[in-house]
Amino acid sequence: MVRLRGEVHRLVAPRDQKYQSNFVEFRNHKIVYRRYAGLFFCICVDANDNELAYLEAIHLFVEVLDSFFDNVCELDLVFNFYKVYAILDEVFLAGEIEETSKDVVLARLEQLEKLE
Amino acid sequence: MATNMRGLTQFIADIRGARVRELEEKRINKEMANIRKRFKDGNLDGYQKKKYVAKVIFTYILGYKVDIGHMEAVNLISSSKYSEKQIGYLAVTLLMHENSDFLRLVVNSIRKDLNDNNEIHNCLALHAIANVGSREMAEALSEDVHRLLISPTSENFVRKKAALTLLRLYRKHPDVIPVQEWALRIVSIMDDPDLGVVLCVTSLILALAQDHPEAFAISYQKAVDRLNRLVVEHEYAATYAYYKVPIPWLQVKLLRLLQTYPPSDDPTLQVMLQVVLQTIMNNCNEPSRNVQHNNAQHAVLFEAINLAIHIDTNSPLVNTAAVLLARFISSKETNVRYLGLDTMAHLAARTDNLGAIKKHQGTIIISLRDKDISVRRRALDLLYSMCDVDNSELIVGELLRYLKVADYGLREEMVLKIAILTEKYASTYKWYVDTILELLSAAGDHVGEEVWYRVVQIVTNTEDLQAYAAKVVFEYLKSPSSHESLVKVGGYILGEYGHLIANEPGYSPIEQFQVLHSKSQFCMAPTRALLLSTYIKWVNVFPEIKPQLVNVFERYRHVLDVDLQQRACEFYALALRPEEDELLQNVCEEIPPFPPRESALLNRLNKKNAESEDKRPWAHSGNGTLERQPSKMMKKPTLIDTNGHGSNSTGDISQDIASIPRLTAGPNVDRWFDKLAYTADGVLYEDVQIQIGIKSRYQGPVGQVAVYIGNKMSAPLTSFTTALHTEENEALSASFVKIAPSTLAPRTQIQQIVQVECKKVFRKPPILVVSFLAGAHQAIAVRLPIVISKFLEGVKLGPTDFFERWKLIGGPPREAQSIFPISLDATGHIDLAKQRQVVSGHGFQILEGIDPNPSNLVGAGIVHTAVDGKVGCLLRLEPNKEAKLSRITIRSTSEDVASEVQKLVQKPLAAEPSGPGEKRTT
Repeated sequence: MVRLRGEVHRLVAPRDQKYQSNFVEFRNHKIVYRRYAGLFFCICVDANDNELAYLEAIHLFVEVLDSFFDNVCELDLVFNFYKVYAILDEVFLAGEIEETSKDVVLARLEQLEKLE
Repeated sequence: MATNMRGLTQFIADIRGARVRELEEKRINKEMANIRKRFKDGNLDGYQKKKYVAKVIFTYILGYKVDIGHMEAVNLISSSKYSEKQIGYLAVTLLMHENSDFLRLVVNSIRKDLNDNNEIHNCLALHAIANVGSREMAEALSEDVHRLLISPTSENFVRKKAALTLLRLYRKHPDVIPVQEWALRIVSIMDDPDLGVVLCVTSLILALAQDHPEAFAISYQKAVDRLNRLVVEHEYAATYAYYKVPIPWLQVKLLRLLQTYPPSDDPTLQVMLQVVLQTIMNNCNEPSRNVQHNNAQHAVLFEAINLAIHIDTNSPLVNTAAVLLARFISSKETNVRYLGLDTMAHLAARTDNLGAIKKHQGTIIISLRDKDISVRRRALDLLYSMCDVDNSELIVGELLRYLKVADYGLREEMVLKIAILTEKYASTYKWYVDTILELLSAAGDHVGEEVWYRVVQIVTNTEDLQAYAAKVVFEYLKSPSSHESLVKVGGYILGEYGHLIANEPGYSPIEQFQVLHSKSQFCMAPTRALLLSTYIKWVNVFPEIKPQLVNVFERYRHVLDVDLQQRACEFYALALRPEEDELLQNVCEEIPPFPPRESALLNRLNKKNAESEDKRPWAHSGNGTLERQPSKMMKKPTLIDTNGHGSNSTGDISQDIASIPRLTAGPNVDRWFDKLAYTADGVLYEDVQIQIGIKSRYQGPVGQVAVYIGNKMSAPLTSFTTALHTEENEALSASFVKIAPSTLAPRTQIQQIVQVECKKVFRKPPILVVSFLAGAHQAIAVRLPIVISKFLEGVKLGPTDFFERWKLIGGPPREAQSIFPISLDATGHIDLAKQRQVVSGHGFQILEGIDPNPSNLVGAGIVHTAVDGKVGCLLRLEPNKEAKLSRITIRSTSEDVASEVQKLVQKPLAAEPSGPGEKRTT
């Protein structure tokens, strides 16, 4: 896993934000990625998958994080890594997008937050 | 998950504060030692376990190996507190490998949570399966997951997660899922009012339908209907708009689903889909400044274009699309350029008319030098798929030029593609040889073995090529540095065909030998071995340089490489045999042509890239091996056609032999149908839940059948779906004017109009399938009373005309006749009224005064068909009271009509058969 992460990082990090696309081929797949300040969000998809749909799925996920953590920053994600996983499970599951309504996801997260 | 764990926060803060790696490791080791001790001592409460396991997880995420906490994670799963369960499940999914023994321990806990009344627990369990999904889980739990998906009491969250969990299990262990059995029930969820649920189940169906298109066929119309509701009717909950685009992810899935099926031939669906695609394309004409909006819009647009191409490359929609794509490939935005090129490559691979694309050749070639390698790749793919006989020299030339500066990662694929195009579209031998050798010399290390094998095959099989190839390769070898694959080709070709040019100045045997042998020292052993074989061939044809060649063999007899040494020894012995010996000649016979075989290049290219579940008919296998599907127009013969590349394995999944739905049986089903065969209106089907009624009118070869479907229950029928199956598509078309609403309210009735056209004589009435959810998923399949006699219109004929035609048509085969038992009415007479009703009900004009016997009936009519025109049809019915038999005679200019009408008219008149087997036979 660590190796994979390093490989993807080396592939994506040097890419130019302005003159290069958000898609890059990786082995027999594609990485669709989006950069928010110093944070990269990367999704590995099939070579034939719809790139833009995943690009916007990333943004949707980031918007959910942003609302949930109220102006999210890297530290929120690190210190609350287990919550990030819980949020991830509400937006993506089994490699597919699961829920695309921000309201629905946030209401659900609020409900989970109240549980002991 | 509310309670924050202070110890965890401190631990993370410490690690982040560590200035160097050693300090970090030290901190972690200390923590792990402490946790190990705590776990060993036992007696931890839930909170402590949760905290420690969370620390273990964090350590694992950082990339450290961890070997503790598994048992505690398993314990946490059985906790009743959400926050403890969540950490437990997280540990299980992260720390345990799919085949871990520990997973066996959790299967039962997961099952318990799946069956729990608490939906939150159901969801946690589903997450775990969806994330790990081992074979054991699949076998033990897929039934439970399926139950959660279809249960009417499941919450939406549970159903969404169950759908995707099932998808994961199917992808990993397809054999565990009884797809056929579950298909219809799963498809019905596409009608759910919750768009989140629809999205998840559509993802599931998209994967299942790739492998089982037939079982999910009904999803086609549901997808069209849903797209129409989203895109055209704007019917969706506001929360599902994403930057004003209605749930783009669902739109994309639906458009993809439609690409897994051959285009529908139902005119209603066609029109509806046309409007949807047009609307999507129009929406993109209003550019917005919002990035998210544009991306979402384009995500849908590109998928819509792909679908339009899939449906018909010659449609006006595709023309519109081509204009859009042209704009995209020169867009300022890199993403848009990338996708524009990608989609254009799809179009190029499918269309018969490359004209529109060729106009932009210049732009595309420039894209080979884009700043982004991803864009460069797409441009390469596009050039590859838009290449044909007319532009091949230009495109291959450009590719060759680009190859010399291309990214290393791209070169191998480029070489393959150039080699394939060169072979496929060569217009002269000279061009082929020049290009392929330039390729070998330019690409060097990136030339796979396949490429030079292929060159040898083609040269061997094409006599006219041999001398020229020998000369050109010789010239290449003269340059100071030639790549090894060029030496191999050179060695082979000069060995076989060097003698063809040996008499020309500059190509003498000794010159050939010197040039080739000067390369030997820079080559690997296998190449040297090949050169030795060349030399023995030369011993045979160039006796003048035999001493030099024998000298080489002699030296090689002492090298360490076993293969080289053995060859040298054998060749040495062979060369030194007496001159009259024929062995050398026999050994060095010219190589016979290779048997035709598939190009290894294509195989290589496909193998390089195939790894995708996507089986849409055109799907690029991996990173763009858009093999052009040879179109009828472009099939100009090319010169080099030695080897059959007629291998179009691009599977077409159009399965014309649509499986016929199983007809619903019932005591009255046949009776209702038979009655409606000669009447216009009445009941077609009825049970405790629904009633189906018919009203029909016909005019010439067309008709309109109104189907009334009533819900007799006090609950709504959901996922209500109607579909038609026609078995003789060329003879009879029948389609709904619109798609039925997906819910049928209690005690209400809907009307669905079926448009019918009789094109030719047909035998099999279409089948109506009505399916719905009422507790379980149910389907009623009955034949619609649309028979050939519905298109029969009576004509009035006088006796002279009638007999003249009767005689003209004559006896069999244009006459169909049978004698059948009849029953008499209550008074013991022939039921004349019924007789007249049936005959005229089937469309005949009853002609009076032709047959003197008043019991007998004579009729005439014309069957109208749209393609085969009009068919005359005459009838004579002669009942006999005493014998309780009747004789029916039909004469028609079409023997098919005669036999079909005879059966139809006889059916309702015949006495109830005594035995069951007799009913449908005549």
